[in-house]
Amino acid sequence: MRRLNVGMLSFAHAHAYDYLACLQQMPEVTVGGIADPVPERTEELAMRHAIPYYSDYRELLADASIDAVIICSENVHHAEHTLAASEAGKHVLCEKPLGLSAGEMERMIAGCEAKGVQLMTAFPCRFLTPVVRAKEAFDRGEIGEIIAFKGTNRGSFPGPAWFAEPSLSGGGAVLDHTVHVMDLMNWFTGSPVEQVYAYAGTLFDPEHKRTIDDSGMVHVTFANGVFGVLDPSWSRNPGFPTWGDVTLQIIGTEGVISIDAFNQKNNVYGRASGKGSWSFWGDDMNGLMLQAFVQALLEGTPVPVTGLDGLRSAEVALNAYRSVQEGQPVKLHR
Amino acid sequence: MIKTAVIGCGGMGNIHADRYMSMPEAQLIAVCDINGEAAERLGLLAGVKYYLSAQEMLEREKPEVVSIAVPTYLHVPMVRLAADYGAHVICEKPLALTSAEAEEAVRYCNGKGVRLFVGHVVRFFPAYSQLAEGIRQHGGGRGGIYHAKRAGSHPGQVQEWFRDPALSGGVIVDLMIHDIDYIRGTFGEAEEVYAFEHRTETMNYASATFRFGNGTLAQLEAFWGYPGAFHTAFEYAGADVIISGGTPDGESVHVRRAAASGSAPGFVETPASVLLKDPYYEELEHFLRCIASGAEPKVTAEDAVQAVRWAEAAVSSGATGLPVKLDAKGGIL
Ligand SMILES: NC(=O)c1ccc[n+]([C@@H]2O[C@H](COP(=O)([O-])OP(=O)(O)OC[C@H]3O[C@@H](n4cnc5c(N)ncnc54)[C@H](O)[C@@H]3O)[C@@H](O)[C@H]2O)c1
Repeated sequence: MRRLNVGMLSFAHAHAYDYLACLQQMPEVTVGGIADPVPERTEELAMRHAIPYYSDYRELLADASIDAVIICSENVHHAEHTLAASEAGKHVLCEKPLGLSAGEMERMIAGCEAKGVQLMTAFPCRFLTPVVRAKEAFDRGEIGEIIAFKGTNRGSFPGPAWFAEPSLSGGGAVLDHTVHVMDLMNWFTGSPVEQVYAYAGTLFDPEHKRTIDDSGMVHVTFANGVFGVLDPSWSRNPGFPTWGDVTLQIIGTEGVISIDAFNQKNNVYGRASGKGSWSFWGDDMNGLMLQAFVQALLEGTPVPVTGLDGLRSAEVALNAYRSVQEGQPVKLHR
Repeated sequence: MIKTAVIGCGGMGNIHADRYMSMPEAQLIAVCDINGEAAERLGLLAGVKYYLSAQEMLEREKPEVVSIAVPTYLHVPMVRLAADYGAHVICEKPLALTSAEAEEAVRYCNGKGVRLFVGHVVRFFPAYSQLAEGIRQHGGGRGGIYHAKRAGSHPGQVQEWFRDPALSGGVIVDLMIHDIDYIRGTFGEAEEVYAFEHRTETMNYASATFRFGNGTLAQLEAFWGYPGAFHTAFEYAGADVIISGGTPDGESVHVRRAAASGSAPGFVETPASVLLKDPYYEELEHFLRCIASGAEPKVTAEDAVQAVRWAEAAVSSGATGLPVKLDAKGGIL
């Protein structure tokens, strides 16, 4: 069996820990190196798993035996890291949002193309089994043509501090949580977003110290006339039974598909926790996403979610901010 | 005992008549419908006189309070007629198809010295009144995100007039207006609305986001032609609290009978309730008490006018694809 040697580039985004755990379950994968500028969070982890550790990602990229890298750095570094990886001939799975400007994302896509490596955007929601089943039902024509979407990707305020630091994150909830469900809307319609009208604000800090947007409402109009609205707010408080949700309602000419992707859950009421919580038992989206990435690279087939997909959804979030600034609907430049 | 009468013996007229019959402070004295069968059926059921003409009923029976439950396009002419006979008016929502007409109804009743109430019944649903209270208690003034929806089969399947927006106002003016009135009552004046609406013969779907001065966003959906049972849902999230609810989640009794085949004409779906006093009862009782005491109701005729203004603004945004700014009076800027 051919094996894939995967390097992990930065653990700034906590998803990296989960990805690492998934990769280690996969017999066809070797994790050939971890590069992270913050040794306190990764050096020991790397040692425990006998994975070479580098504080400088360039050393990881210099290892010719590494086939692909997973980039979980702060959003602002995605472009630099992706371009460096492609230069070194590594395939890339990049955490979302893919980049912080359309130009930067175009360069990432072109750079990978030029070097003959694949670029995949980490949109695990594509691999949620409820979403996959919904897409199959839609493709069978069960709800006719799409008229409108209503989605939510409500979440908790993210742990790592850089999420609240615009110079590292590039934006708050509207950037972080628009992209997933926006990607699903793009996937279902197959039509480009033409117009964005959005609101953004800071409503969910009980101490009123937060300066980055943690709430909003993003409205899109697709070229084919379909309308979509999406709540990307970090609005879950610690009393809520889970971290957040991914819901999407697809209103069609002949029916409606309602997805509540994390509704596969048991209710857990613990004396110690003092609150009820939801314990999810559905399929593991991160594992399925990594499986798809690895399989495409081993078989030499196109990755299922591309850099262009990453661009198409991140540019909606970026234009949402433009719309907030201008106080009116904005057209996407193409 | 206040003497009440009901004009329009359809779905809502039946509900009004039924609640008056069980209300100690009210006496239902007559009902009326231009459809003789409907009038007769309800008249016999209630054991009261029934009429084919509202004018004749008003003239002969001299009710003190009249419930108006005719199709929406007839609300204002009926309000005026009842006011002409000196009856206080309880009109079903929406008060009128346009804000101009709604204002006219308020002016007319003022001129005739009769009170006018509009059946914005959501304010009387305990789930929603408790929600409003919870939002107030948990710092709602600092802003939050509200979602609400209301979806069910197309009422045009049972009553044809609902299909024509010139008669019913369509899903925003007829159905979303419940949530529109509710968010006005709960969050105050909005600055802007941005909406989408899609309408065909068999479905009418609308989605509207209202933005309030303190940053609160209220995202409302209303859906006629939803391929499933009537349901409602809401969620409010603020910095300190999340409150969610809706039907069928909040239902405590399910009676499920084997399905009979075929469909028959009937009434538009209204939520059933497992409460000793259901929200329609609470609403009508509250209005009758306001008449007796002269007190201001929880939802005024002016509130009903504003709700129509906001609905108009949402319709206009849906038609143009542009956000519509609202002035302090709820008018379109
Ligand atoms: N508050 C709520 O929850 C709720 C629910 C449904 C409907 N409504 C509102 O109630 C009103 C009535 O709706 P409905 O579902 O009962 O409609 P419906 O069609 O079932 O009933 C209307 C009745 O009025 C009668 N009518 C028509 N013209 C008349 C006239 N000139 N004089 C006397 N009777 C006349 C019709 O024959 C019919 O029987 C509408 O404005 C609707 O928007 C409110």
